[in-house]
Amino acid sequence: MTMFNALLKKLMNRGNDDSKNVAKKRLKFALVYDKLEIKEEMLEDLQKDLIEVISRYFEIDRDQVMLDIERSEESSALIMNTPILAARHKKPAHKSSRM
Amino acid sequence: MDGKIVVVTSGKGGVGKTTVAASVAAALALQGKRVAVVDMDIGLRNLDVIMGLENRIVFNIVDVVQGRCKLKQAMIKDRRINNLYLIPASQSDEKNVIKPENMQWLCKRLRKEFDFTILDCPAGIEQGFKNAIEAADEAIVVCMPEISSVRDADRVIGLLYSRSIEPKLIVNRIIPKMVERGDMLSHQDVVDVLSIDLIGLVETDEAVVVSSNTGLPIVMQKDSKAGKAFTEIAMRMNGHPDLPVEDPMAPKSFWKKIGSKIGRKNKVQS
Repeated sequence: MTMFNALLKKLMNRGNDDSKNVAKKRLKFALVYDKLEIKEEMLEDLQKDLIEVISRYFEIDRDQVMLDIERSEESSALIMNTPILAARHKKPAHKSSRM
Repeated sequence: MDGKIVVVTSGKGGVGKTTVAASVAAALALQGKRVAVVDMDIGLRNLDVIMGLENRIVFNIVDVVQGRCKLKQAMIKDRRINNLYLIPASQSDEKNVIKPENMQWLCKRLRKEFDFTILDCPAGIEQGFKNAIEAADEAIVVCMPEISSVRDADRVIGLLYSRSIEPKLIVNRIIPKMVERGDMLSHQDVVDVLSIDLIGLVETDEAVVVSSNTGLPIVMQKDSKAGKAFTEIAMRMNGHPDLPVEDPMAPKSFWKKIGSKIGRKNKVQS
């Protein structure tokens, strides 16, 4: 890069590529990521609870249920995927839904 | 008397906890308070050498909580500064020989005798940390303007909040020239990320190394920038919470000033 280009780049993009800005961005991401870290057992418990609730309304294939946390730089999402076999037309009495 | 228990912590090691604990304690004592400093780093004691009191240790904190000596016997009086006492850590025990209930008992007694008890917390967030925060009323989190230190500080701040302690932040070892060049997180960046209140900014100061070499408190060295910063931190803890925090800036040369006026950054061209 010529001196002129370097200067132009500096004027156009003042300070954005400073190493401290890189550090700050990485830091913010790391902190968000750290806070989303949960224990594997917690995810398993959540999966069990979710299956129980959904089973009150739908007949589902329990072995096909997928639960995961997806993280990207902008956002994080809890993703659940389950095939539905049939809807339960009669709403079961609360808590009595276990097959 | 009903004194305060203040824990100095950081998560990460090597960011200056012990220096902060020793210096702030010395400054508080110089301001006329009765102060005890307790080394909570069982097995890796260091506060004694930083304070220059290492050759006067007879008993330590483990002896006190296990009843082998009286509290008074384990307190080492600093002969240079009135009303400053050190309770050293044990070098031969494990961190978990002290239990949280021991700390409750110890701090209850220290509260009665001292205006301030400063607990120098070990690095990490295990038993030693848990012991140190067990009976604390206030906390100072020390961090360096550097990515891993800030991350660990954030973790520790979360743990303190969960114990209803609202910590104050010291950003330590700032290098103003690097901040100005854009190669070091500024204290504003750190505060922005951690979102807690500042209690002081300390720039890197060679006098701190000299002070630890000799065991002479940095706050007694009049021309030291770090010493001055620690003295001011002690004042903020000691009834002057609104004393403004000075922003350490690199001294600007004439040409640099002109340069910054026209919006050009002074940095090495790539």
